[in-house]
Amino acid sequence: MDQSEIDAIMGGGSGKGSGSKKHKGAQPAPKPPETTAPAPVPAPTPVATPPPASAKKDSEVSSSIPSVRVIGELGAVTAVTERETNKVMDKLDQISQLLDQQRILVTEMMGNESIQNPTIQSSVHQIMTACTEIQNKVYEAMDLMQFQDISRQKLERIMHHLRQIHDYILDLLGTGFQSQPAAKISLSNSIASTGTSPDENKTHADSVVDEFLRANKKG
Amino acid sequence: MKILVVDDSSTMRRIIINTLSRIGYTNVVEAEHGKAGLEKLAQGGVEMIITDWNMPEMDGLEFVGAVRGSDGSIPILMVTTNAAKEDIVSALQAGVNNYVVKPFTPETLKEKIESLLG
Repeated sequence: MDQSEIDAIMGGGSGKGSGSKKHKGAQPAPKPPETTAPAPVPAPTPVATPPPASAKKDSEVSSSIPSVRVIGELGAVTAVTERETNKVMDKLDQISQLLDQQRILVTEMMGNESIQNPTIQSSVHQIMTACTEIQNKVYEAMDLMQFQDISRQKLERIMHHLRQIHDYILDLLGTGFQSQPAAKISLSNSIASTGTSPDENKTHADSVVDEFLRANKKG
Repeated sequence: MKILVVDDSSTMRRIIINTLSRIGYTNVVEAEHGKAGLEKLAQGGVEMIITDWNMPEMDGLEFVGAVRGSDGSIPILMVTTNAAKEDIVSALQAGVNNYVVKPFTPETLKEKIESLLG
């Protein structure tokens, strides 16, 4: 968190990109009296006080705070990547269907007596092999899309911690604001260390399962 | 064989359903969290469950507990990012029959499903 963001929270001022919104309760420092006072009284430090309930809804004020905006932006990123990943999956499905159609055509063609020439048969066989290879690559690409779920969970964990920090700071400042309550989420404790290589934890998981099942059998 | 797939990620549900289709299981119903999973289960006919752990509304562990409360025999495979030993043990204690850590290969999913179905 940089100074402008802290300032935004402290005084409801304009943090990065938050425009010129200010908490209505934050009063500017009063001007020193123009009369010849014996000693100038230092201007009181402005204190962040919550705006009157009628002035702005908590959610409106809260959404102008940078940390809340960042949480919202991260949420949008996860939603967009899931949507776009599904679009990629749609395209892969279409390629898969086109391949199936081509294989049906080629199979029909191979049964035709007019193309029993060994050279043509050999070429057709190569086309079929290529179709199978492409199909396998399509399946592999689909399976690799698991990275999206893992990245989403990693981002959700970051959002969860940001929300905690945000609420802690606001609580500390006594602003009375709280972040928008997130929908109930369930976080993986080990997501931070989860990689994207398929089956990287298979041996470990299998051994724990085997050990558990053996112990249960004995018991 | 009707299989229920419970996962809050539409991408992951799709990957699992695609994999199931490739290994010959095409009768699949899906749900985005445990609560929706229980509703699908109540409609009847489900013979196996593949569930995630980390989900909103009702997580996988709560879901497995609810299922085991009424059905002690339906095979349940948990597919999750939770890889810690204590997590795996907790899931097994809750009633999961086997466990796959994401990301997985289709071969692993196939192996686990076949071992559960005997």
